[in-house]
Amino acid sequence: MVGRRNRPPAGMSMPVNTPPPPVSETRRAAVTVALAAYLAGLALCVAGNTSSGGSAVVRTVKAKLFSPWMAPLWLDLGYDTLLTHGRAEDGDHRLEIRRLDALGAAGPVVLPARSLGGERAARWRRLARAVAEGEADPDREALLPAAVGAGAFAPWSTRDVSVRVMRHLPPDRADVLTGVADAAGRDDEAYAARVRLVAGEVQLIKSTPREELAPLVQEPTP
Amino acid sequence: MNAAPRPSGSPSLGDAIGATWTTFWFTPVGAWPLAAVRIGGGLLALALWAGYARDLETWFGASGMIPPGLLAAWRSPYGVSVFDFLPSSPLLWIAYLAGGLVLACVTVGALTPVTTVLGALAFASLLHRGPMLAGPADDVVAVILWCLAIGRSGDALSIDGGARSRLGRPSPAPSVRSRIALGLLRIHAAVIAGAAALAQLKGDVWWNGTAAWWLAARADSGLVDLTGLFLRSEYLLNVVTHAIVLFEALFAAGMWIPAVRRPLAIAGLVAWPLIGIVGGEPFWGLALAVLSLGCLPDAVESSA
Repeated sequence: MVGRRNRPPAGMSMPVNTPPPPVSETRRAAVTVALAAYLAGLALCVAGNTSSGGSAVVRTVKAKLFSPWMAPLWLDLGYDTLLTHGRAEDGDHRLEIRRLDALGAAGPVVLPARSLGGERAARWRRLARAVAEGEADPDREALLPAAVGAGAFAPWSTRDVSVRVMRHLPPDRADVLTGVADAAGRDDEAYAARVRLVAGEVQLIKSTPREELAPLVQEPTP
Repeated sequence: MNAAPRPSGSPSLGDAIGATWTTFWFTPVGAWPLAAVRIGGGLLALALWAGYARDLETWFGASGMIPPGLLAAWRSPYGVSVFDFLPSSPLLWIAYLAGGLVLACVTVGALTPVTTVLGALAFASLLHRGPMLAGPADDVVAVILWCLAIGRSGDALSIDGGARSRLGRPSPAPSVRSRIALGLLRIHAAVIAGAAALAQLKGDVWWNGTAAWWLAARADSGLVDLTGLFLRSEYLLNVVTHAIVLFEALFAAGMWIPAVRRPLAIAGLVAWPLIGIVGGEPFWGLALAVLSLGCLPDAVESSA
């Protein structure tokens, strides 16, 4: 270490850097072991975190040996950025939250707003997608929409809101060319629920899509 | 039957693998390549970090939309965040601003041995607080930050380096730690590009050449409207779609072929941001461009 006290007087040349000392065999062996462990963990994380789902053996080995130290560092990742598979789930999602009281007539708050861009808007879209996709997972069902709805209670001073996730379905190119569909595409309701606070408890009432309701069958008159 | 004796002096396969491993990981490298990655990665991390500011309390506040109790269903049981324990608004903001300050220090290269580690920890901590908000750019930037923490990323183009010069200390010698960091960056660049190509090839639209249409026709996330162009020319649509996958596959493989590594890494500086723009993930594209910066072979080898 060269401290201020050892600074060379003016006029003297600056010290020249010396070549680094060779890495000792012991240190090299230790680094090699650490690197091999990390690279094995990386391979298992990539194999075990794909959208196709990992095999049981990969999941187990990863969970036992690598996730405990890679997950806290945000390194237990699959990196499988598919961008799109042309499915409805790949469309842009947005949240629409509306208060269900007299002030709700003003319309829903849309998140992200159309005017919002960049990574901030992208995070809102991911949150909206997580709300919709959580419904397919028994461990996550209703958790996020209830929390999102409850998050609107305090700022709006209300106890009753609706949470809706709309997703944009881009049109098929061939349909646009033949005039069957508009180039702007259309919106589809991916999830809807009412969230309210009753006796200090958050209640979620999921809306059932109209096509899933049984038709009302009238008794034939004799 | 006796095996033919190996000519004396020719290395065994094990020796060759050992020599290649040693050369790849333990050849000291100069400070500039990792310093360039530090500036690019630091700026990206700051931009992603700043993206939380306006919604910090809406998401993570005491009565926010993502309460800590919810997270068990979304993140690994080993995931942990310092923000889980900061329910009050002032503490949340203090931690958030402190994290931003640390990432700013990483970017300008101040106290890098400490700030790079703290920056990587802070970034991972924020992502763990809202895992459903994290995107592909966050994943890549997290890797870059950890690599910066491993190497001596503050040896050049930094406040640390300026202070060292003012104190009359010698410029730092080439470093094995920086070499390890650059090696890890290159491995991750290849893995991320390869994993993206494989993930895309599981979808029919990447085979029939229409994926770029589905990207362009999205309502909000597209940055440029290419639908008009793609409506006019199906061939252009197919070329753009196939070019994205082809470049990802070439990049993943080419990082290990000395003859093409340099042109591919240079191409990556332009191609990745373009793919990010077309794909509606501009920060992911920029993050991969920063990874490409760490893969430039001449910068690595010549300074060794």
